[in-house]
Amino acid sequence: MARRIRHGAGVRDASAPASAASDPDDAASSGNPTAESSGTRAAASGSGRKFHLRRQGRAAHVFLLPWLLGFGLVTSVPLFASLYLAFTDYNVLSSPRFTGLSNFERMLSDDRFWAAVSVTARYVFISVPLQLGFALLLALILDRGLRGLAFYRGAFYLPSLLGSSVAVAILWREIFGHDGLVNDALAWFGIEGQSWLQNPSTALSTLMVLNVWTFGSPMVIFLAGLRQIPEDLYEAARVDGASKIRQFTHVTIPLLTPIIFFNLILQTIGSFQAFTQAHIISGGTGGPVDSTLFYTLYLYQQGFNSFNMGYASALAWVLMLAIAVVTAIHFFLSKYWVFYGDD
Amino acid sequence: MSTMDRRTFLKTTGAGALGATALLSACGSDDGSAPGGPTSVRYAWWGNNIRQQNYTTALELFQEEHPDITIETEFAEYTAFQERMTTQMAARDVPDIFWIASAQVMTYEKNGLYRSLEGLDALDLSDFSDQDIEFFKLNGELNTMPHGSFVPVVRYNQTYLEEDGYELPGDADWTWENLADFLIDYNDNNPNGRRGLPYDADHDISFEAWLRQHGQQLWTEDGEMGFDAEALAGWFEWWERLRTAGAALSISEQDGIGPDWAEVGERVLVKFGSSNHIIDEAQVFPDSTFKLRPAPAIPDAAAGHKFIYYPRLAVYQGIDDAQAQAAASVVSFNINSVDFLKTVGLTMGAPPNPRLLQEAYEFASDDEQEMLAVVESETDAERSPRYEAPAGTSTWRTVMSRAAEEIALERSGIAEASEAMIAEIQAGIDQEK
Repeated sequence: MARRIRHGAGVRDASAPASAASDPDDAASSGNPTAESSGTRAAASGSGRKFHLRRQGRAAHVFLLPWLLGFGLVTSVPLFASLYLAFTDYNVLSSPRFTGLSNFERMLSDDRFWAAVSVTARYVFISVPLQLGFALLLALILDRGLRGLAFYRGAFYLPSLLGSSVAVAILWREIFGHDGLVNDALAWFGIEGQSWLQNPSTALSTLMVLNVWTFGSPMVIFLAGLRQIPEDLYEAARVDGASKIRQFTHVTIPLLTPIIFFNLILQTIGSFQAFTQAHIISGGTGGPVDSTLFYTLYLYQQGFNSFNMGYASALAWVLMLAIAVVTAIHFFLSKYWVFYGDD
Repeated sequence: MSTMDRRTFLKTTGAGALGATALLSACGSDDGSAPGGPTSVRYAWWGNNIRQQNYTTALELFQEEHPDITIETEFAEYTAFQERMTTQMAARDVPDIFWIASAQVMTYEKNGLYRSLEGLDALDLSDFSDQDIEFFKLNGELNTMPHGSFVPVVRYNQTYLEEDGYELPGDADWTWENLADFLIDYNDNNPNGRRGLPYDADHDISFEAWLRQHGQQLWTEDGEMGFDAEALAGWFEWWERLRTAGAALSISEQDGIGPDWAEVGERVLVKFGSSNHIIDEAQVFPDSTFKLRPAPAIPDAAAGHKFIYYPRLAVYQGIDDAQAQAAASVVSFNINSVDFLKTVGLTMGAPPNPRLLQEAYEFASDDEQEMLAVVESETDAERSPRYEAPAGTSTWRTVMSRAAEEIALERSGIAEASEAMIAEIQAGIDQEK
């Protein structure tokens, strides 16, 4: 998908100067009586377009200015400040003291750091594929031309809006708590339940379910992707005797791979940064016994509860590098499975 | 649509920037105000919506009496308050008067966040004895003031006791051992299937009471841990006996180590907690009458083991003299005015001011009277000094909660969890050195 957009933009950018430069020469050599006037018009039109583009460019910069200022002052300054702080001992209350690589060395022997890495890795590598699979399934169902599609699309998107809200803590307790709906359902079959949120073996799974439940955003993107697959490809497949499953595996999936890739990148990055759900549901502790100690939650605890802002900054940069590496691996592997229409 | 050329754009943005600079300057602190002239101070505290409304009203009352002093209020829920304080400290934009979370008292002190309150004429300490003032000092200096006081208690449901035909052990038999025996018996035999108590093995000041009775302390005067693994393990063992007997709720049954009183209150007879909690929590179950007992004691408890915990407030060291006097007026009103106390209520515990403590009985509700009485009884008892959590231990309660979880979820033995907890807290102290 990204490459399509890039090609389109490239064609548009290249066409204007090419026509402006070549038209007069072409007219002179062609012997066309209208060539001169045509060339003059083209030249005039070319310089007018340049002027127009320059004005548009200036307007674009003006409109971008608030964002650029915001990025420069609000994002990039703290970003680079945190890079410096990552090499210091900084407790917020007194001035940072340069300590070299000690914060990074500390991670190696920090059991809770490794617990947070383990929790986050399991969360990312299990819940993201489940979420994307579920989102694709729902998108396929909605793509079958249901009546009231807009309603279902909105209804299914709703959990994405609630997923990071405080209301979820109450909802999840009502569902997975000791006296929750899940245990009520189990009780019908004579099974005595437990608090799924307070059992270290199941607590993380409930957060994965929450992540899968917030499938609205990738579902909407999948739905848009499905709508772009030309119908004549399915017709051709049907003529060739392809079954529904074969149409799905040989038409839908290949043409949807750029969308799957796009969703995979976004959801993976988002899941590495997951914070709110665990913070709300565990009361900020990452409990029980660190079973929901997400990396960002541990980072937050170090920065804001323990006043180890230098260590927290180092943790933040390690996370950023980890996300960069995983994203780079995704991009590297994408050439083996992502199919662009112009390949 | 009219277009804007570069010159006009730059003029407009320049004027905007100038205006914004002027506006921001106007919003800054009024450091230049003359002593005794109009001034404003920022007052920051935490709590729930009701406390926010009550304190806002009480601070308005102060402003009516002191028209030259304007109070800018900064309120947040407890956790959000901590976050905001951390950010404000990093930005050197700390409120002029602020409440201090118990675990941060010495961390802030070590980093010079408090202004000394000695020599501030506007702060009236005439109701306090010299001994009181000594108890309030940190490292020999009066730089914070308590604005409440509470003690560890066992809160019990008197209505349940009567309905179930039980009586708590008498005052003379009020020991940990007897209480455990009683709760196990009650749990096994009461006719309504009620349970003994929630699992509160991480309750900080109850644990502190246990330590002091055993001749140990939570923290020492020189900022070290004042207890050993043996005393800690003894505490966890007491709770394990109750949990394994079914008298204490399991972590699963109470949905977490910090149970929600609204969820568990109906199921249990007693709860360990702080004396002030009765005020809000009794109202959750209006059909029941709740009573308080001091924490149980071991038979040969160390002398002076009783103690009072004081929630504190402080004046920021970064403000100038004029503002410091204004801030002292606010603090003085906070700790001395009966009108202030009537407005804010007693959710932060009994007033540390002994005169106010007596006056509070006149307007206190039944629950509040219960709380005042138990605090007063402890106030009158012999008390050895207690010391606040040193720098580097701001998360010790979270560490203890995790240790209690490890044990209750049977993922770790008592000895192992106790050793690990002590090692983790000690590492935090060492890091600050």
